[in-house]
Amino acid sequence: MSIKSFLPFALCLSVLLFSGSGFSFEQEMLQRAYDTISPALCVLTFTQETTDPRSGEQIRQNGFAVALNVSAEGLLLTNGHLQRDNVQSFNFRVTFRIDGKEQSYPAVLLKKPDDLNVSLLRLQSETPLTLPYVRFSTDAGLSLGEPVAILGIMGETLDFNRAIQEDRIISVLDAPRSTYCLGGQLKMGFVTGPVINRRGQVVGVTGFDLAVAEGGEFFSRSGVPLVYQASLFEKHIASPPDQTQESVEAEEAWLGVFTQPLKEEFARYWNIPEAGGLIVSTVIPDSPAAAVGIVPGDIIRAFDGHPIRAIHDRDVLAFTQMVKEKAPGSEVEITLLRNGEDLALTATLGHRPRAAQDADEYEDEHLGMVVREITRDLRILLNLGEEVQGVIVRRVVSGSAAQAARIQPGLIIMSMNSATIRDLDDYKEAAQFFKQDKPDEITLFVRAGAQTGFLRLRPRW
Amino acid sequence: MMPHTHVPLSVRLRHGFSYLLLLSAVVLAGGCASLSGNTQDRVLAARNRVAPALVHIRPVKEVFVSGKRTEVLTVGSGFIISADGYIVTNEHVAGESSEVWCILSDNTEHEARVVGVDPYTDVAVLKIEADRPFPYVRWGDSDAIEAGQMVLAMGSPHGLARSVSLGIISVRDRYLENASGMSSPYNNWIQTDAAINPGNSGGPLVNLKGDVVGINARMLSGAENLGFAIPANIARQVVTQIIDHGSVRRSALGLVFQEMTSKTDDPSARGVVIADVAPLSASYEAGVRPGDILIRLGNRPMHARHEEELPAVRKAVADLPVGEPVTLVLERGGEEMSFSVVTEEESAYKGRNAEFSEWGFTLVELTPDLARRAQLPGHTGVLVSGCLPGGLAASSGLTPGDIILKLDDTPVASLSDFMNLYKSVQENRKALTMLFVQKGALTRFVLIDQTNSKSSILDREVLDHVD
Repeated sequence: MSIKSFLPFALCLSVLLFSGSGFSFEQEMLQRAYDTISPALCVLTFTQETTDPRSGEQIRQNGFAVALNVSAEGLLLTNGHLQRDNVQSFNFRVTFRIDGKEQSYPAVLLKKPDDLNVSLLRLQSETPLTLPYVRFSTDAGLSLGEPVAILGIMGETLDFNRAIQEDRIISVLDAPRSTYCLGGQLKMGFVTGPVINRRGQVVGVTGFDLAVAEGGEFFSRSGVPLVYQASLFEKHIASPPDQTQESVEAEEAWLGVFTQPLKEEFARYWNIPEAGGLIVSTVIPDSPAAAVGIVPGDIIRAFDGHPIRAIHDRDVLAFTQMVKEKAPGSEVEITLLRNGEDLALTATLGHRPRAAQDADEYEDEHLGMVVREITRDLRILLNLGEEVQGVIVRRVVSGSAAQAARIQPGLIIMSMNSATIRDLDDYKEAAQFFKQDKPDEITLFVRAGAQTGFLRLRPRW
Repeated sequence: MMPHTHVPLSVRLRHGFSYLLLLSAVVLAGGCASLSGNTQDRVLAARNRVAPALVHIRPVKEVFVSGKRTEVLTVGSGFIISADGYIVTNEHVAGESSEVWCILSDNTEHEARVVGVDPYTDVAVLKIEADRPFPYVRWGDSDAIEAGQMVLAMGSPHGLARSVSLGIISVRDRYLENASGMSSPYNNWIQTDAAINPGNSGGPLVNLKGDVVGINARMLSGAENLGFAIPANIARQVVTQIIDHGSVRRSALGLVFQEMTSKTDDPSARGVVIADVAPLSASYEAGVRPGDILIRLGNRPMHARHEEELPAVRKAVADLPVGEPVTLVLERGGEEMSFSVVTEEESAYKGRNAEFSEWGFTLVELTPDLARRAQLPGHTGVLVSGCLPGGLAASSGLTPGDIILKLDDTPVASLSDFMNLYKSVQENRKALTMLFVQKGALTRFVLIDQTNSKSSILDREVLDHVD
């Protein structure tokens, strides 16, 4: 099959002609996989603005990543690192190389699926598109030691040439989801590259992991390259998420506990005959868990009819996922072990708090800073009581009035002159008033860490 | 009055323990002395007056690093203030030491007793004994000093005893904010360009009359000739209290003060801004709130337009009798209001440390200040200050910064609580101990399993090799 043959019509790319025996790929197989799949491999260029969380300093740079097209109309998978806190990516442009000719399209980033470190992009075009794309074999798994081929793109100095490399599965992970570890190093242009087995099936994409914990977001990157199995993002391809710009209220459920697994020695300590379960270590105040009377030390043995037998730290994530997938507002039965006695409770799940990275922001150009709403998860992470109301400084412009007044990122603004600032709307209203009133100076009542104080600011009108 | 500046002093202040010796050849061209004969004589006289009372101090300090208690030998300076052998030095020189050796100008060596320390002002008093009177220094009046006036710094920079350097007073009332965990809430500092190096700590800053006007205690690392001394008048009060009572007792109102310029440019505005009121403090209960302006404390008018006037306000509060009511006259929204508040005793500056070698970790007492920063309701818990790598505590998941709230089901209110509980765990050779700890904003259970502790493995290995 030559590349020309699929040009006039959209072609679902798969190789399907491999001989399928032996312990590695033959040269001919690699060539065939390369010829067939690489037209769906695109160069994604973008501009990225990274904010140093301490200094507020911003660095802008251009970057490139590999994007893999998965639909004829242009839906692409790419590196999830594009979407993280403190990073703003924009100016997305996707370039296909078909039959040696380049075709370039603008693209928009979609809301990131929070169970996968993969980002999704949609191409923008006035006319309907029929582009080469790959179709995944969602039911094909990989085995330990199995050889795989990975497609990628070389850097700009090598003219973004498409490339293929061989690797091997060195570990098969079952939890929190089916993922595979690769033995080799993943060059930069191979992240989110398609992974092909010896039968020619595209079984997944490469990536680096991220972990999301109940109640907040924690990144734990092992540094080991992974293969995300295609079944993990099947649903995201079938019904792509909305555009990222519209920050949507999370529709996931929330219980409001942090847990740790009931390991064997913990079971021994509490004289529990059988290990497995989740020890409640933290209960968030005013959460559904607090409302139903769950306290630290309770051991969750069943949730909504499912027995909980968590032994390993990673099992906590599976529980988080289980809670998330329930509908907010639904009632679930929770079986607890408290002081050796079984106890059944019915909790009404709440809405999962919005993550800080989705919080609304406001750029105050006159004062030279960006402030954001204090989201529930920031409140939890910064250990702020409900009595602390205000907005939190996210960024301070170098040389600005805010910087001159020693304002630093992380500072919480609680009042401006006589106006009490409880949230971002209060801030915007005050900013609007100052814009007309143009006072020579503004006195802020702020909180830094556990201490409050006053700051005087001279705005530049 | 010095000009007020908004530039933050975000530089690192270091006290001088380490004494790395870097020698570089300095060639002296002859005949460049620009001091007039008269001044030269005065420098000589001042030096000669203090030198006999100068002390080279070698404390053995107890330090808690990486979950272990160790002892380190350090070097500092000091000076004798009485014929019966009282010596003044810095708290950071003589505090937390297991022994303190003093070498006098006649090269005799004496082991000193630590009479008392005051971390808030970084002052310590030692006592040595002998059957003869000691030479001693005369205190000068630090309120009478002027910027530009010549001074000598004397002591043991980098361990080099009997050193003298000459300079002037650069600023007489430098305000230093908390830096590297060292605060000096009750005093400003004398800034001098007389060379001060690590090891000068505790040594005298001397005027040309040969009187001690300050105790050298800080230097700016990475800068040149920016040294700082505790004013003699502040130090003397502290020294007297330490000699009389063994420690310094201060009052507290739970208030944090800020200079008036933080709220207004109006030079006629009197008072001092209340920036923060500690929750649950007597002031809070009485109704004092951040933003109030304190204009009178008892009968004394209070005023701090610039930050260097704040230490005097804080000292006025500290000097009130502990446990007695005082009237605060505040201004709120243009109106004067009075509040009667009973003073509390100022809490310890830092907590005691302790090592728990079987588990391989160290704890430090939680001061109210630390408890507040950790947002702990009430002042319970003890802070994990270090975990020995490979030790039981570290391998069980305890990390520095954790706050232990409970051992098994017993709340841990203080370090001595924990020590007692730990002692009974060790005496009963208890296999499993559950700690309930606060890690940042979260709480977590940490199980210590002594059955597989390293020491028992070691014992077995030792036994295996005994034939």
